[in-house]
Amino acid sequence: MEAPLEPPADEVTQLRGCLNDLVSIMALSALWTGGEPPQIVSTLQDTLLGMLRLAFVFVRLNDPEGGGSIEMVRFAESSEGTARAREIGEAIDSSLRDAPLTRSPRARVRVGDDDLSVASARLGPQGEFGIIVTGSQRRDFPAETERILLDVAANQAAIGLQRARLLSLKKEVAERRRTEESLRERERESRLILDSIPGLVALLTATGDVEVVNRQVLEYFGQTLEDLRQWGTNDTIHPEDLPHVIEVFRRSISSGNPYEIVQRFRRSDGVYRWFANSGFPLRDTNGHIVRWCVLLTDIDERKRAEDALRASERNLKLIIDTIPALAWSARPDGSAEFFSQHYLDFMGLSADQASDWGWTAAVHPDDLNALAATWQRIMASEELGEAEARLRRQDGEYRWFLFRANPLRDEKGNIVKWYGINTDIEDRKRAETESKVAEEALNRARTELAHVARVTSLSTLTASIAHEVNQPLSGIVTNASTCLRMLDANPPDIEGARETARRTIRDGHRASDVITRLRALFSKKEFTLEPLDLNEATREIIALSLSELQRNRVIVQAELAADLPSITGDRVQLQQVILNLLRNASDAMVGVDDRPRQLLIRTEREGGDRVRVTVRDAGVGIAPQGMDKLFDAFYTTKSGGMGIGLSVSRSIVERHHGRLWVEPNDGPGATFAFSIPRNLEHVMDAAHVVRSS
Amino acid sequence: MAKRSLVSIVDDDESVRESLPDLLRQCGFAAQAFSSAEAFLASEAVSETRCLILDIAMPGMSGPDLQQELIRRRQEIPIVFITAQGDDTVRPRLLAHGAAECLLKPFSETALLDALNIALRRRS
Repeated sequence: MEAPLEPPADEVTQLRGCLNDLVSIMALSALWTGGEPPQIVSTLQDTLLGMLRLAFVFVRLNDPEGGGSIEMVRFAESSEGTARAREIGEAIDSSLRDAPLTRSPRARVRVGDDDLSVASARLGPQGEFGIIVTGSQRRDFPAETERILLDVAANQAAIGLQRARLLSLKKEVAERRRTEESLRERERESRLILDSIPGLVALLTATGDVEVVNRQVLEYFGQTLEDLRQWGTNDTIHPEDLPHVIEVFRRSISSGNPYEIVQRFRRSDGVYRWFANSGFPLRDTNGHIVRWCVLLTDIDERKRAEDALRASERNLKLIIDTIPALAWSARPDGSAEFFSQHYLDFMGLSADQASDWGWTAAVHPDDLNALAATWQRIMASEELGEAEARLRRQDGEYRWFLFRANPLRDEKGNIVKWYGINTDIEDRKRAETESKVAEEALNRARTELAHVARVTSLSTLTASIAHEVNQPLSGIVTNASTCLRMLDANPPDIEGARETARRTIRDGHRASDVITRLRALFSKKEFTLEPLDLNEATREIIALSLSELQRNRVIVQAELAADLPSITGDRVQLQQVILNLLRNASDAMVGVDDRPRQLLIRTEREGGDRVRVTVRDAGVGIAPQGMDKLFDAFYTTKSGGMGIGLSVSRSIVERHHGRLWVEPNDGPGATFAFSIPRNLEHVMDAAHVVRSS
Repeated sequence: MAKRSLVSIVDDDESVRESLPDLLRQCGFAAQAFSSAEAFLASEAVSETRCLILDIAMPGMSGPDLQQELIRRRQEIPIVFITAQGDDTVRPRLLAHGAAECLLKPFSETALLDALNIALRRRS
């Protein structure tokens, strides 16, 4: 048996060349490490083109993501270049479509005028990476070794592409990871910014749903984001504020305008606190709203302070408007700035009308000058001050007010304002006036009473005497009448007449007794001796009688001696005498119309340590024949008088060891006068001594 | 003979009580005197009196007090007031208050009879 010992020499050469080529192809993978698919394809094409002396190498690379494929063609340098690439592509395309390339040993493809032998190989076991098509002018292409080289090269390329893809995927993943990382970082930063804002911040979607809130929001509310999204239906917002908040919020979201609401949000502990809730839209470059940003600022303390201040102001206003005083303030120049409502209502002026100096229209014209002067003085003194003036009430009535002003100073001590209060002192004033009037009236009444008591004792006495005398007189008249009737009767009642005549006599005695008692009354009368100033006593009587004298149109002239010594006597009784003389004088002039009803009353010192009081009238005068009877009791020249005055007066004067007399004047009228010793006690003692001896 | 009209006198002054009834009787009246308004009111004379001669000022119930009391009791007796203290102002005041007449003591017989006539006419 004969075994081939040695292959033919050219076959050996051929195999050696093939092995070299295989080594070169295997080395390609090292070049491809880290390379991109186009680079791999390009290297592969160059290698095969030279190695197999090909006319072209076509590679179609499939996109593993299912996108389009890449086709790359490389021609031998001698060939006509890229111009034919399309043709080849189209030819291969149709051949691939008509008969999917298999491992058919050979195929012929027509490219333009050329009829080329082609061989193809899949890239990847199922051709998932694409296909490689090689073309040669040679009709015997591909030889067996060429086929092997092509397959190995395709496998190597597939491995390289696989690696490249993995690498690319890895890169992609890494890239994605980096992107995600940076996104997360940005988010963290945003979060950090949101959380570091000193306030509660929320981001809402364009339609107003809560999307993101910062840490402070979660901490404040103690709720989950999910809970917060339901703010419109849970107790996140104070029930009293909720309807308003919803309304404003909805309006703002639909209009795109920012909003600002002051409302209460419930804290995690259940306490509602006041917040300023402001929201504004965030827009993209086209101006569309992409989000809403909401800032919640806790203004609880400020709000409470404001409320407290407002309440305090309200309270103050209430106080100012209810205190029973008129409150005001004025500028440093004195012009008025503020008036309490009470004040304005009182004057019936508006704030505008009253301001500056307008209020002075309500001041009583008589008080205005004094008030203005006092106000100027207070301002000049720069100290608290007060004044009294009448203010006109809107109904026109003036009332007295006490104005009190107090300066307000700045830290340098300059007056920046005056504050004032006007207190109604009308009642006090009136009471003062009334009490003054009442006091005066009381004093007057007291004085008058004292005088009247002294003086009326005379008229009371007169009435009493009249009564005492009239009673028996009445009896006398009646009895006498009865007596006459009895005597005239038929038959005459002699016994009755005698009885009534006896009664008449008895009543006559009674009348006489009255006079006796009267005398006794005066003689028994308590006699009070005291030092007295006759001038003063006279002045009192003139004052007391003045109204009556004036009513009678009597002109009184008093000439009271300045050197009149004080005397001792009964003041009341002597005043009765003076009064009696004055009245007589006045009465005597009632009918006088042709001359002045002049009355002169004079006091003077007489020789022998006596004083004299003279009353001279211009009246009817006294007939000489009446002079003697004048001082008798019950003698009167007056229709209304009982004729007792002068009789009593004389007895009083005589009690003082004095003398009362009358003289006709040279002209009309008469002059009555009395004279008494200055020191009565001395006289009485002397009299006593005389009587005792 | 017709019954005499009763004239009652109320006066605290004894001389009046003593003298006036006699004169009235001489003039044809029946007369009865009382020392006080209270005594008169307590008597049966109240209903029979046709005319009352009444002193103004008396201790206890005064003349005008008695007048008021009689009006209150609907005993409308014509009254002639008499007074020893009166002046010109008293009379018109009393007449205005319903008195038939007011006589100032001392009064004459004629004045008394005129007053009684006025009073009794008023009664009828």
